[in-house]
Amino acid sequence: MKDKDLYNIPSEACTKINEWLLKFPDGEKKPAIIYALHLIQKENKYIKSKHVDALANLLNLKKIDVYEVASFYSMFELEKVGKHTISVCTNVSCMLKGSDEILAYLERKLKIKVGTSSDEYFLKDERECLAACCGAPMMQVDHRYYENLTKEKVDKIIRDIENEK
Amino acid sequence: MKNNIRINELCFSTLSSNNPNSLETYLSQGGYSTWKKIVNDFTDKQEIIDLVVKSGLRGRGGAGFSTGKKWSFINLESDEIKYLVCNADESEPGTCKDRDILRYNPHAVIEGMLIASYAIGANVSYCYLRGEFMGEVYKNFKQALNEAYSNNFVGNNILGSEINIELHDLIGAGAYIVGEETAMLESIEGKKGFPRYKPPFPAIKGLFNSPTIINNVETLASIPKIISNGPIWFNSIGTKDSPGFKCFSVSGHVNKPGNYEVPLGTPFKDLLELAGGVKNNKKIKAVIPGGSSVPVLPGNIIMNINMDYESIANAGSLLGSGAVIIMDENTNMVKVLHRIARFYYSESCGQCTPCREGTGWMYKIIDKLLSGKGSLKDIETLESLPNMIASSTICAFGDAAAMPVESFIKYYKNEFLNYIKNED
Ligand SMILES: Cc1cc2nc3c(=O)[nH]c(=O)nc-3n(C[C@H](O)[C@H](O)[C@H](O)COP(=O)(O)O)c2cc1C
Ligand code: FES
Repeated sequence: MKDKDLYNIPSEACTKINEWLLKFPDGEKKPAIIYALHLIQKENKYIKSKHVDALANLLNLKKIDVYEVASFYSMFELEKVGKHTISVCTNVSCMLKGSDEILAYLERKLKIKVGTSSDEYFLKDERECLAACCGAPMMQVDHRYYENLTKEKVDKIIRDIENEK
Repeated sequence: MKNNIRINELCFSTLSSNNPNSLETYLSQGGYSTWKKIVNDFTDKQEIIDLVVKSGLRGRGGAGFSTGKKWSFINLESDEIKYLVCNADESEPGTCKDRDILRYNPHAVIEGMLIASYAIGANVSYCYLRGEFMGEVYKNFKQALNEAYSNNFVGNNILGSEINIELHDLIGAGAYIVGEETAMLESIEGKKGFPRYKPPFPAIKGLFNSPTIINNVETLASIPKIISNGPIWFNSIGTKDSPGFKCFSVSGHVNKPGNYEVPLGTPFKDLLELAGGVKNNKKIKAVIPGGSSVPVLPGNIIMNINMDYESIANAGSLLGSGAVIIMDENTNMVKVLHRIARFYYSESCGQCTPCREGTGWMYKIIDKLLSGKGSLKDIETLESLPNMIASSTICAFGDAAAMPVESFIKYYKNEFLNYIKNED
């Protein structure tokens, strides 16, 4: 195996994972998978098979146990994605308030199709309601909620991200 | 009329402060006094459970099952390890009350979890937050939890007593089905969220095979005041079968969408007025009164009913999670159902065939109708599908996916027929 195919979970993350495990009965390792995958994804943007292998190794679990979790939950990305994830909720309450126009606007503005990425952005059509329906239409950018969206608001949010660079 | 409505007195009481989520605010409103008293008096567990039974509190997660009764399924005599789980996965479409309770009154959730844990004899309890809450919601909850630990409301030898209760935050990663209680247990155990067969019920065999009680955020946040003010205070509000306050998330075509905590039994039209009425002075067409999993009701029906479990059930729908989605006269009901069906299709966990296949069929047929390629036969198939899915699956997701379809066709069949090209 080539070196670059191996991944070492940073020691800081290992410590955090071990601390997380203290919440559960002795010997239970699986309950740390979701948390650990979040940590790994934050570090690497998306989860590759070498990450799954490394985590299985660390927790002394079968690879399939880790892979099953990584592929079941929608927040885990298994393919390369852009730096910032933008999820526009298009469930009922948001649809009634114009979420589809917001999504289409972002498609045009960022010049990427829904469900795809540029280097900078990953644009997601979020089919799950994100529990901010009274602030519809809404979206999340990297876990942050933005509610009562208008095109002007979207412009400002994107401008702020660009300025942060 | 609306001036007389009592609003935000229970789970949202801290909203009257500028600093709603702080410990000071919670304490200034009498927070943790119930817990301190229980710890100090070493109150009999059964006594607490009896109070909750008497209050008539019904679970706010959707099913409306008596909370006290659920707790009493735990065998207090047994020395098995027991768990309490707070369901903070809030993901029923239209529902956004738990997020605000967690953000603005996290200490009430924590105190409720402590009291519930004590009453059922659990030394460990978990609050499972949906993954998307990783930002502000988690931060506020975690901060409150740290405060509760540093004040020794939680932990070992709580407030000098012999009581030990650990309380942990957990985080999910995106999956509607994990809101179902047994799927949540699987998820906490670190597996994919496949619901379990019942029986055995979680109160007998739940998390890590131990007796477990799962309650919704709003249910637990209601507990401290129910105990301190007494069951009579609680059930003097609302109706006989629906006592107390309930948070309603009013969304859609209204002027002031928002979470409103009002007495159960409040007339729908008063709730609508609180939410500023229908936007742009339009007429109301339809309302989904309890989240996307419940049957839709036409405006003229719901305008005359009260927001309590039995009135909504009598009208043919369910109060569910309290998510009230308002649709004005211009709403295209086929498009709304299309959106709902798309959701269930993409969120079915795939474990049971009728649900996995049925949700796909329903979505594809509605999609076909919308694109103008549908036929009368498709509508007939659509009418027959809900029956084939409901009650034939491990969990209630199947019913949740089926109920809206039946009701949309029942009340708005013409709109579906309009999508069929006249066949020569
Ligand atoms: C498909 C499905 C999704 C559910 N989602 C949630 C949810 O997001 N939040 C919740 O509290 N309960 C949800 N429930 C209900 C839970 O299974 C459970 O009944 C509830 O958490 C019990 O709490 P309560 O008695 O306090 O209401 C869901 C049920 C089903 C069948
Ligand atoms: S429908 Fe978009 S947040 Fe609930």
